[in-house]
Amino acid sequence: MNTKNKIIIIFAALLMFVSRVNVHAIEYSGFGGRPANSDPNNPRTESIFIYTLSPEEKKEDGVRVINNSQVTKTFNVYATDSTPSTGGAFACKQFLEAQTGVGSWIKLAKSEVTLPAGQNEIVPFTISTPENVSVGEHNGCILIQEKKSEATASGVNISMRTGLRVVVTIPGNALRSIVIESFTLSKKDDGSILFYPKVKNEGNVSIDTDVSVVTRYFFGKEFLTQGGQYPVFRGEIGEWNFELKRPFWGGWYKSDLTVSYDNNYGAGVGQVSGKTLTRLESPTLWFFVTPTPAALAIEMIIILLLLALLGLWLFSVRRWRWIANHWVSHTVIKSENIQELAKTYNVSWKLLAKVNSIEPPYVVEAGKIIKVPPVS
Amino acid sequence: MNIFYLNLKEYFLRYFNISLAFLIILSLSISGTVVVLASATSSFTQVINPGTLSVDIVNASYESVASPSVALSTATFSFSCQTSTGTFGTNTERIYITNPDAADSGWAVSLAAASPTSTWVGTGSTFDFNDPTNSGCSDSGSDSDSVGGQMTVNPASSTLAVGNCASCSTGNVSLGSQSAFSEVAPVVNSITIITGAASSDDIGDWRLTGVSISQKIPAEQKAASDYTLSLTLSIVAS
Repeated sequence: MNTKNKIIIIFAALLMFVSRVNVHAIEYSGFGGRPANSDPNNPRTESIFIYTLSPEEKKEDGVRVINNSQVTKTFNVYATDSTPSTGGAFACKQFLEAQTGVGSWIKLAKSEVTLPAGQNEIVPFTISTPENVSVGEHNGCILIQEKKSEATASGVNISMRTGLRVVVTIPGNALRSIVIESFTLSKKDDGSILFYPKVKNEGNVSIDTDVSVVTRYFFGKEFLTQGGQYPVFRGEIGEWNFELKRPFWGGWYKSDLTVSYDNNYGAGVGQVSGKTLTRLESPTLWFFVTPTPAALAIEMIIILLLLALLGLWLFSVRRWRWIANHWVSHTVIKSENIQELAKTYNVSWKLLAKVNSIEPPYVVEAGKIIKVPPVS
Repeated sequence: MNIFYLNLKEYFLRYFNISLAFLIILSLSISGTVVVLASATSSFTQVINPGTLSVDIVNASYESVASPSVALSTATFSFSCQTSTGTFGTNTERIYITNPDAADSGWAVSLAAASPTSTWVGTGSTFDFNDPTNSGCSDSGSDSDSVGGQMTVNPASSTLAVGNCASCSTGNVSLGSQSAFSEVAPVVNSITIITGAASSDDIGDWRLTGVSISQKIPAEQKAASDYTLSLTLSIVAS
């Protein structure tokens, strides 16, 4: 076998190895966790834990703790109840707080994990629902927090943690209802606009809610759509800030809030019914945005040009009206031509030709009656 | 005739060998059989770990800051209630969020104290971070401490930008509203800094700077150079 053949075979072998690598998501540094046993029928379970459990039911699962940093780290792994954060966002209670809900139902096999750089480990846990738990959705968290000695610098010392939401639904009559509380706006110092849509979940389960703020120009053409799908938790108010950067040209705009959600049987966390969504709308907000300085300068120049054109047009109209009212008839004699007539009446020959509709080569025949300026 | 025969043989041996090698490798590759080639070539392995949703404080080179902190403006002892201010998220301590395909249905970053009963602790004195009484200047008497003081956080004033990701956007990522911690109803133990909707980038990274923080300091608060408060920045897939 010659050298060329060897190269080809080695290349093919390399290709074979490459083709058999299982490619996961792109790696970034940091730490965190993922559910160890996701449900292939519900893609949402790749990032959060979702269970439907009856009272006094037990479920075993695991959380994969991941250290993607460049150094060995020790993590505290613990469960807490959920707590509403401002704006209705999902948040988790602190380790030091008393846990009375989902956080107290979860028992982790380990509370501390030490992982070398780039390694991960599954921490098993058991979740047991109590006897008298209410129907509907209950939320909690499993958190991974780096174990660090307490910082000593004065001021606010910050520590970071990553949490995975744990959703436990107790079967029963699921109430799914969203109402729009308000839709307002405010202007920031830099001229941009902040929209504040606010909705309330009046049901007993969390609802994935599509929130959309559509801003249009004065005449209705769409300018920008903002929003997205956000979970609104049981009994909570969800509110968001959508910032509209100051439009370059400024002017009048109008914005509408549309909220839609799945209110049908079969809908749940990570599950859609496939039926028509319930849609809510708010009254339209009109607002004026002052143009940016550059746009203002351009707009001023355009306005000045338009004013100048208007002035010229008005001047022209008035002049033609004066010509029609004041110019007198003159009968052309044989020796006269348009330039001599213009000189005689002290007027431009072009104006004389225009007023009398004399076409090139601008010959005025003897005997023709034309209009000329009055002689004072 | 002989010359033609020899050329044909050479041609057959050369290209038959190459084709045969490809076929063998291809069939073994498809069937999952491990192939060991009797050659000096090393085998290459590559492991790519699954990424995780995370929040961190990083410097301008996106290196993790070991002990991040926020220094509020220095106050002087006063017989009146006063306000100290600071900025959470600076060019050297940026709030950095990464979602490497780990939370496709959205996420939220929130700020909370290590405990709702925490206080600013300095040498020989404390004051509160979550007492709204008298605009943060007095004690409500509703918790175990007897000190006033309240912290307000304003993420709406901050600047959001894409991090290292060249193809990502800040679309469907929204900033939280200005809020103050409160130990009395309506209780506010956690303040939302930023949220990503389900339709935000599934693979993306973002940096946030300029979150305004202000702290009401009660009148006659004792002077100390070491007042500290521990806050936790959490990111949760929702």
